[in-house]
Amino acid sequence: MSDELAFRSAADLARLIRAGEVSPVEVVQAYLSRIDRFDGALRAYVTVCRERALDEARAAEAARGRGGQLGPLHGVPFAVKDQFDTAGVRTTSGSRLHALRTPAHDATVVARLRAAGGILLGKLNLTEFALGGTLTYPFGQPRNPWDPTRETGGSSSGSGIAAAAALAAATLGEDTGGSVRSPASWCGAVGLRPTWGLVPRSGCIPVAWSMDAPGPLTRSVEDAALLLSIIAGPDGRDPWIRPAASDPRGDLERGARGLSVGVVHELVAGADTEPEVGAAVRGAAETLRGLGAAVADVSLPLVPRAGAVFMALADSEAAAWHHPTLATRGDEYDAGTRRRLIAAALLPTTLAQQAGRARAAIRAEVLDALERFNVLLAPTAPTAAPPIAGARAPIRSRGEAARRFFNRRSYTTPASLAGVPALSLPCGFTASGLPIGLQLIGRRFDEATLLRAARAYERATDCGGRRPPLHG
Amino acid sequence: MAELSAAEVHAQAAAIGLLLEGEDLAEVAHRLNAFVEALAGLATLDLAAAEPWPTAPPDPR
Repeated sequence: MSDELAFRSAADLARLIRAGEVSPVEVVQAYLSRIDRFDGALRAYVTVCRERALDEARAAEAARGRGGQLGPLHGVPFAVKDQFDTAGVRTTSGSRLHALRTPAHDATVVARLRAAGGILLGKLNLTEFALGGTLTYPFGQPRNPWDPTRETGGSSSGSGIAAAAALAAATLGEDTGGSVRSPASWCGAVGLRPTWGLVPRSGCIPVAWSMDAPGPLTRSVEDAALLLSIIAGPDGRDPWIRPAASDPRGDLERGARGLSVGVVHELVAGADTEPEVGAAVRGAAETLRGLGAAVADVSLPLVPRAGAVFMALADSEAAAWHHPTLATRGDEYDAGTRRRLIAAALLPTTLAQQAGRARAAIRAEVLDALERFNVLLAPTAPTAAPPIAGARAPIRSRGEAARRFFNRRSYTTPASLAGVPALSLPCGFTASGLPIGLQLIGRRFDEATLLRAARAYERATDCGGRRPPLHG
Repeated sequence: MAELSAAEVHAQAAAIGLLLEGEDLAEVAHRLNAFVEALAGLATLDLAAAEPWPTAPPDPR
């Protein structure tokens, strides 16, 4: 029974709690039970706030009994990537360097989820400093709930695991170049990168200031919309944040009829795209066509260069933030993180500026396509989750470095470089049973249409209904 | 384009106060050479009108 409860959506749980059909204590206990059974192997959590969550659940139960105004997440347990500050709860950024760091204040997004009635269940594992390429995780190797020998995607690894395996009702991650969408794709969850400038970054350890975007990972599109509606909008601290143009939930059930959908040729048919991934995305496009959307191919010739351009820009920003620590405590970083940051620190300025100009060109190409289409469609990743062992092999040439670090990132980084919203949701499974992620890319500040298209697809298929084969 | 040698990469790192040796040096050299090759390739694009602003300009409409 508790497992059935744990797999309910956050929106459902909020409704059940509000109606008095389940208690917040029962819900928190359901997730703690699953964490106890499965997280020893999966390593989604860095910190579980067990007693605090139970205390808050009892308080939420009492508040419901007293009547009065309840927030939209009242009594619903959520968990956040350990990149977000949490008052009184250590925030490690997945690094030994921050192993003892305990902030005094909540990040804005955490404060908003708590103010909405949500209960913080814990802090979720990630690649070191949300950079990707970690070789040895100080808080345990995150493992894919569909196959523990496989990668989870990063950097919001624990957020993807916890959403897919129902170790929380909903989670938050942060997406710079795909860090929400990649784990959503490989773990079989819904992951939303909002428009850059919609969700405050205050209290979030930065990766790259110009592209960081906090966003939800959930088991349903409705939950992604719900969480976005809570975390979006100016906070008076992050100067780049604008109000949402509309309620992201406003068009959720309007269906796909009347939408125009562009299928990105270079990513669906790219040399790196596995045939069963490309076929799944083509199948999703046909599903949307069957629902009344106008579907056509669109060519974005610059997109294959996006991975290298992104890494030059994002990693340069990251290297600037980390340089003082790299110079004095470099040996305390994971080797993969350290090598990535130092390579970016040495990049000639002229080439970094050229990358900045290429970003403008890629952005123009994406925005131009979005003038013609409401939504663009692409695979979130060229393959399903690869084996963990492959990511640890030494780099022996510049060609190998380019293949490993640039190519895969060209799938998620066009949206990051353009500053537009993008969402990943399951669109099928490989023959070996691994989830395949469908990426939808939308117009700036038009999350409502992006979520509408995703919800229409989700409602027409059962891809999101499968559960990972966990035993415990 | 010629690849940077490990010695050249080591010297660049030292110039900004970063210690680089052993496996780190070998891998950073490969990563940096991959960057240089990929970004030098941008010279084939028409970027005459592209200014390197990190965000899109305001919509004039």
